[in-house]
Amino acid sequence: MIDSLCHQAREGDIAVAGLYCDFLVQQEQTVANIMRAILKQLIGNGIIAVYLREEFKRGVIGFGGRRIRLYELMKLVKMAIASLRQVFICIDALDECPLRQLTGFLMSLRDIVQECPRTRVFLTGRPHIRENIKRYFPRAFVMHFTPKTEDIRNYLEKRLHGDNEPEAMDNDLRADIMRIILETMSDTYVGKSGASTPPIMYTHQ
Amino acid sequence: MEHTTHIREIPFSGRGVDCGNVLEFFNDTLPQSNEDEQIMRWLSPIEPVNRHHSVSADRVDGVGGWVLETSEFREWRNGEGGADRTVLFCSGNPGVGKTYLRWSPGSLREVNITDSLKY
Repeated sequence: MIDSLCHQAREGDIAVAGLYCDFLVQQEQTVANIMRAILKQLIGNGIIAVYLREEFKRGVIGFGGRRIRLYELMKLVKMAIASLRQVFICIDALDECPLRQLTGFLMSLRDIVQECPRTRVFLTGRPHIRENIKRYFPRAFVMHFTPKTEDIRNYLEKRLHGDNEPEAMDNDLRADIMRIILETMSDTYVGKSGASTPPIMYTHQ
Repeated sequence: MEHTTHIREIPFSGRGVDCGNVLEFFNDTLPQSNEDEQIMRWLSPIEPVNRHHSVSADRVDGVGGWVLETSEFREWRNGEGGADRTVLFCSGNPGVGKTYLRWSPGSLREVNITDSLKY
């Protein structure tokens, strides 16, 4: 997703900032830290860079200096976004953010898109956080992703192709693996009727 | 986010030579021990690029790519829904591949964000 957007953005003054949340390091995923990681990817070489360099030289920031506060971070993020033609912010597995931080992050995100409406935000997560997102972005596009049988087949073929022990594989075993996993996955994700079942896709207005 | 065991900083200065795109910072590296790198490390210890490389290596062309070709995705990307439709949430159960959505290589030429900005 990030690479796809980046690929399309090559000819413009467009930035793509991405972040992967992980419940294993929840303590790191504070609103301020997420914003720091986003800012880090948007600084460029413009006014924000000049400001930070000056502050660093004066010892105001840096490891010996003070910590930058959230409201300052927000100001810098918005300035960085405003200096670009368009910014895409992609956050993966948002459900793995602690709930308290999730709320704060969504509020901060809303603040950003209200001031910088050219920003595009792509979020992924488990379905249960949909209501959290809709609370702050009532008109957000919402899509429910269910892999197609073809997606599963492509994935399996790549995995089998990269098998670490190819000598242990033959055509029959390969065919059995494909058949059994596809049947199981189809029951789980695609539906009992199998390959022709379309994926669930809905959008809330 | 994975704990990083090595430092791989995103360059602080110098936009992409070809396109002036901050995207270029996402994948590039700078030599160690310069002032910009210190500032970047101070700013955030989180290195999304490390996780991104790992995800990129595991992706399969075209898997889930149809999501990125839906009208909803195009509307969101092109800003056709207006200022209050700036967010797209892709939900899904654990392990279905949300993280690995990828365009088919052949479909990339169909769209160009810079031609479709609305405001």
